[in-house]
Amino acid sequence: MHFVVCIKQVPETTDVKINPETNTLIREGVDSIVNPFDVYAIEEALRLRDKLGGKVTAISMGPPQAEAVLREAIAMGVNEGILVSDRAFAGSDTWATSYTLAMAIKKIGDYDVVLFGKQASDGDTAQVGPGVATHLDLPQITYVRKIEEVDESHIVAERLLENGYESVEAPLPVALTVVKEINDPRLPSLKGKMAARKAEIPTWSAEDIGADPACLGLDGSPTKVVKIFTPPSREGGEIFEGEPHECAEKLVKALKEIVVEANA
Amino acid sequence: MQHHIDNKTFHVEILTPKQNSKNLDVDLERFADKYMKVMDAGYVACITDNPMGLLSFQATEMIAELELPVKPEQVCIHLNTFHTLEHLHEILDTAQELGIKYILAISGDGNERMPKLQPEHIGEGKNAVTSVELMRYINRKYPDVFDLGVAFNPYEPQDHELEKMERKLEAGASYIITQPVLGLDERVVKLEEFKVPVVIDAWMSKKLHLLSECVGYEIPEDTPYDPVENLQDLQKHYPNHGLYLALLGFKTQYPHLQEWWK
Repeated sequence: MHFVVCIKQVPETTDVKINPETNTLIREGVDSIVNPFDVYAIEEALRLRDKLGGKVTAISMGPPQAEAVLREAIAMGVNEGILVSDRAFAGSDTWATSYTLAMAIKKIGDYDVVLFGKQASDGDTAQVGPGVATHLDLPQITYVRKIEEVDESHIVAERLLENGYESVEAPLPVALTVVKEINDPRLPSLKGKMAARKAEIPTWSAEDIGADPACLGLDGSPTKVVKIFTPPSREGGEIFEGEPHECAEKLVKALKEIVVEANA
Repeated sequence: MQHHIDNKTFHVEILTPKQNSKNLDVDLERFADKYMKVMDAGYVACITDNPMGLLSFQATEMIAELELPVKPEQVCIHLNTFHTLEHLHEILDTAQELGIKYILAISGDGNERMPKLQPEHIGEGKNAVTSVELMRYINRKYPDVFDLGVAFNPYEPQDHELEKMERKLEAGASYIITQPVLGLDERVVKLEEFKVPVVIDAWMSKKLHLLSECVGYEIPEDTPYDPVENLQDLQKHYPNHGLYLALLGFKTQYPHLQEWWK
């Protein structure tokens, strides 16, 4: 069986800085890592391969330096990596990114399960996995926390809901987005790291994947970013000191004042 | 454990390269160089396991991949509780194959990226896996293969720490390595009652913020601290104990080690 896992290179920080002129993330001076949610997708793909046989291909769309995350995936045990990179992809929103990845997966051809992390830690949209499934016309199971059954024709998975979970069955090929409850990802081994350095990673351009130029990059992105900014950090709030009943009285008084002020 | 006092044997801490090493080849070479120096000198190489939660390569894979020789009396690997069961077995199986005998079982040094061993994975009905549960499991699965040691923290409330030490010894610990000790400390002297070899951690770095993290209280960075003076103090105050050299400078300090053993 062939497991394809889509991964993204993201900045290794939660303190994201934004260029106010271009409305894009400032990546200079910030180390890059595999999107933490994608690490769970890689681990699950490896476990499925180890259980069912076959191979795992990692695919990433990004600038040439995104090759590093594919090497990290190979160090974890992925069989091969493919970088989808072209200047034509610059400025892609989640729709254009989904289209591009879908075209690359189509080029791969023989796939059974396509896996994603539930979302990227920089964009936080959770749209690319479902978007790829839509472009490929695949059934999708999102927020997967456990794979109950899987064979060459079908899969049964538990998907996380706000108040519990549900069990969903789908035919293969299928797209899954996974949550961190699904597994404990392995760390790359030293042997894996050394092998990953030598691995050949092909780069596929827009032409290689047969993409329609109108569907790529800014032209192919219906999302228009009006404004993007770092929200101001929250202030510390007020701490009431004293005996519990005194604090409760102070709290009630403060809340009443807020309500009165809001209604004024 | 060989008599480290008679043999003037230091326990020398060696850190493995970090997972995110920017120059892995250089880091591997440095590790191998330090390891071989320690082997050649007849000291004990004490190799850490993700110290302070920094993701690093395992001692076992370093030794295996770099094909470094293992002299069983001279290698002690740290093993914390932040591993999957599968990974734990990988480490222990490799250690056994390599002939590694000494393992220091430690509870902490975790990181959110690292999975914690769960009690149900190792047949323990407790809430959390500590070095006690880890040792019991190792002794069950690998009987008579490893010689297990434990850490002692003089900076924790001592009633609890000493009670924990009793449980650690019951679980099979046969030696104790302390957290960094500064001069004469009655809490460390008390360890003699346990009648097992004790190795005292001598902090060899001038990075006091790291020392603060280890001891759990703030030591101002501008506090005068001479690591060599402290090492010599420890030798004087604890003549019956071994010495563990944490964060030893291999360029500046290592060449003088023999002079410092008095």
